[in-house]
Amino acid sequence: MITGNEAIVLGALRAGVKVAAGYPGTPSSGALGYLLKMDLDDRRHVEWSTNEKVALEVATGAAWAGQRALCTMKMSGVNVAYDSLISVAYSGFRGSLVVYVADDPGTSAGMCEQDSRGFAIMSDMPMLEPASVAEAYELVQVAFDLSERTGTPVFVRLVTAISNAHAPVAVEKPVPPAERDVVLERDITKYTKAGAVICTTQHRDLIARLERAGELIRELGLNQLHLAPANTKHETRSTQHAPRLGIIASGVVSAYLDEGLEIAARYGLDPDAVSILRIVATHPFPAEEVRTLLGHCDTVLVLEELEPHIERGVVVEAHRLGFQGRIVGKLDGGQAVAGLSRIGEYGVEQVVHGIGQALDLPIPDGLFRGKAEAESLAAQRPITCCAGCPHRGTYMAINQALKALKLKKDDVMVTGDIGCTILGMNPPFYTIWNEISMGASVSLAQGFVYAGVQTPVIATIGDSTFFHNGVPGLINAVQHQVNMTLIIMDNGWTAMTGMQVNPGTAEPFQAPGSHRVDIARLVEGLGVEHFFVIDPFQFDESTATIQRALTLPGVKVVLSRQECAIQAQRRGLTAGEVHVNPDNCILCKQCITVTGCPAITLGEESILIDPALCYGCGLCAQVCKFEAIEFEREAA
Amino acid sequence: MNHATPNTQHVSPSEFYDIYLVGVGGQGVLTIGDLIAEAAMRASIPVSFYPTKGMAQRGGAVKARLRLGRETVGANIAEKGADLVIAMEVSEALKAVRFIKPGGDFVLYGHVWPPTAVMLGKAPYPELEQVLEQVRGAGAVVRYLDPERRPLHEGAPVPANIFVLGAALGGTGLDGLLDPAAVQELVRTRWTRGAKQNTLAFEAGLKTMKNDQ
Repeated sequence: MITGNEAIVLGALRAGVKVAAGYPGTPSSGALGYLLKMDLDDRRHVEWSTNEKVALEVATGAAWAGQRALCTMKMSGVNVAYDSLISVAYSGFRGSLVVYVADDPGTSAGMCEQDSRGFAIMSDMPMLEPASVAEAYELVQVAFDLSERTGTPVFVRLVTAISNAHAPVAVEKPVPPAERDVVLERDITKYTKAGAVICTTQHRDLIARLERAGELIRELGLNQLHLAPANTKHETRSTQHAPRLGIIASGVVSAYLDEGLEIAARYGLDPDAVSILRIVATHPFPAEEVRTLLGHCDTVLVLEELEPHIERGVVVEAHRLGFQGRIVGKLDGGQAVAGLSRIGEYGVEQVVHGIGQALDLPIPDGLFRGKAEAESLAAQRPITCCAGCPHRGTYMAINQALKALKLKKDDVMVTGDIGCTILGMNPPFYTIWNEISMGASVSLAQGFVYAGVQTPVIATIGDSTFFHNGVPGLINAVQHQVNMTLIIMDNGWTAMTGMQVNPGTAEPFQAPGSHRVDIARLVEGLGVEHFFVIDPFQFDESTATIQRALTLPGVKVVLSRQECAIQAQRRGLTAGEVHVNPDNCILCKQCITVTGCPAITLGEESILIDPALCYGCGLCAQVCKFEAIEFEREAA
Repeated sequence: MNHATPNTQHVSPSEFYDIYLVGVGGQGVLTIGDLIAEAAMRASIPVSFYPTKGMAQRGGAVKARLRLGRETVGANIAEKGADLVIAMEVSEALKAVRFIKPGGDFVLYGHVWPPTAVMLGKAPYPELEQVLEQVRGAGAVVRYLDPERRPLHEGAPVPANIFVLGAALGGTGLDGLLDPAAVQELVRTRWTRGAKQNTLAFEAGLKTMKNDQ
């Protein structure tokens, strides 16, 4: 069994990919992560790049040199990469470039519930949307061919319910990268954007390439149109005219059709009378197939997650054909009656209720509505830092420093950023106020200063996020000498997405031949005047340093350094030894209230520390006022 | 490529079996799912396994869906669609109630894992009876499993997830699809260490559930 993410990279290997680059982001991280664990031959290059834009540019260079390249990211990553991606699409190339994007309808992992199909439309890029893990494996290979034959980058889009789902797939042997000569094509009219003639010509060529892609997609029969026989049982049985239903489904929704038709059949649907257009290539719009379907049916149901991109196209074609029937979907008020919403995932319920709505079948309202009240009784489980997480010490120190300066937490802006560091927004810390995008905390803080906030303004960011896009913000702060404190929480790994290597990861864990980039040297190199390094497991010292930073003028940077406890524990390391002294414990719960550490629970006589969870950071011992927690730090 | 067309043969729905798993990170919920998926594969039953990938931490809510018997299938299970729910934690069980099919089997392992706010007395935690009432109210067949009935192996309780997996094969509809002996063999051979305690855990779960019926 493999996941959808794994299917993408296995398909890419089968297609002979030479260069693969990406940036981690749930639900896409499993793709490149899987590739990096494989024993690949030296002719291939795989890397986690500094950010998605860098990854895309690395992959593009390879494609421009005539090779096959893959770039992977989550939907938010496309926002970052897009500045370059649209430009690359306008230029085109000789090799092939496949961009794998994982969207997250229903937002299982956070960030904007955006529909990446919009990006394909804006840059005239073909987009393929597999309906299953097995289809992902096949279609990524098709995407490479399509890219190469048209000279345009091709999107392969999955959603979480495919990228993280496991299914059996027959995987064939990888194909080694083709021994192709490197092509260095000097053509400034194609590969630069300097001049109106160049740009308008590129736009014209871009449109022509998409048209060519559309022709190839039709030749390959990627979008599957099934027309029900003209004379169906349904019609002959019935004296009245029954609507001839056509269903258009895209991507993952297609996988629910069989199940949905079976269920709807129990309520009077004749499945043999249904025509189906399964759209796998969502862009360019398959106008010809849609027109054929419209000519064959008098009611069309459009099933697509998130934005009604296909539905709008269907409405346009219907208008051009003078179609008189109904088009059931999101634009038709389908949300209220059939759950055809722009929000969240589609499943079998949308298929069945959509059919019910289209054919006026007696589908019971509550067919898929379970007891919702049960969930409201469940205990809340806010996500919090792991036992031994070094970020815990940093939040505690920020909170304590504010207290020491007699500042109220509600008066001090602490901007937040993407990754594990955002956990400071939750109890028991309530330190962080906001989260926008990678690196935004640093520049956002500057705006708060200019807005006239009189209390100290603090920005917090993790190591990978700082490398990703935090550095430009810090350069801006140094240039304009903004009065703010940046706290970089450096745990050495891109942790939240599953422990990927980043530029700052310790040397022994870097890929052979790669080097570590030291954040400390980077910050000093930028000319930051007040620069401090703290160990977040040293509570008093960290508090004192942050307190001092908050009282200094200009740009202050505090680098809080301690490796992610999960990674350290995997190598058998501990930070120290912690034991409860039950005689001294009065069950004041201070340790739990301040640290929120999941290793601590309440016992009958005293608090208890789970030795299997405890990393020995000793933060609980450092806040205990009754010497009820004994702590011995591991010798450095 | 799988082509969904309305002309595929309609197989009897009884050959399809959907399982919804819930619990707390660290309980081994996903391992249960993984083992069932593996067992289905070995029995040549088409399977889709969809775990939620959260952060690499313990203590967060975990869920997974298993769909057995369909070649072409979306990974999500509709509300009121699961033939079997396996809940490893009392409060988390409530999050699965929406998904149980009326008449379906609801295996509830009575472990309580209170979140910090509950421990501090700042937030409520549902009573077991309240949870059972909700499960029954959804029309499910409750199969409650008392954590106290977990046997000891060399002085320590056996792994709860394998105990629960054994119970799930001890009289729910799942044993109509998967041979309990084959699953037990899979459990025994899965890890190089712990074969004894895992076998003990599986057998104990299976027996506990069978005896309770």
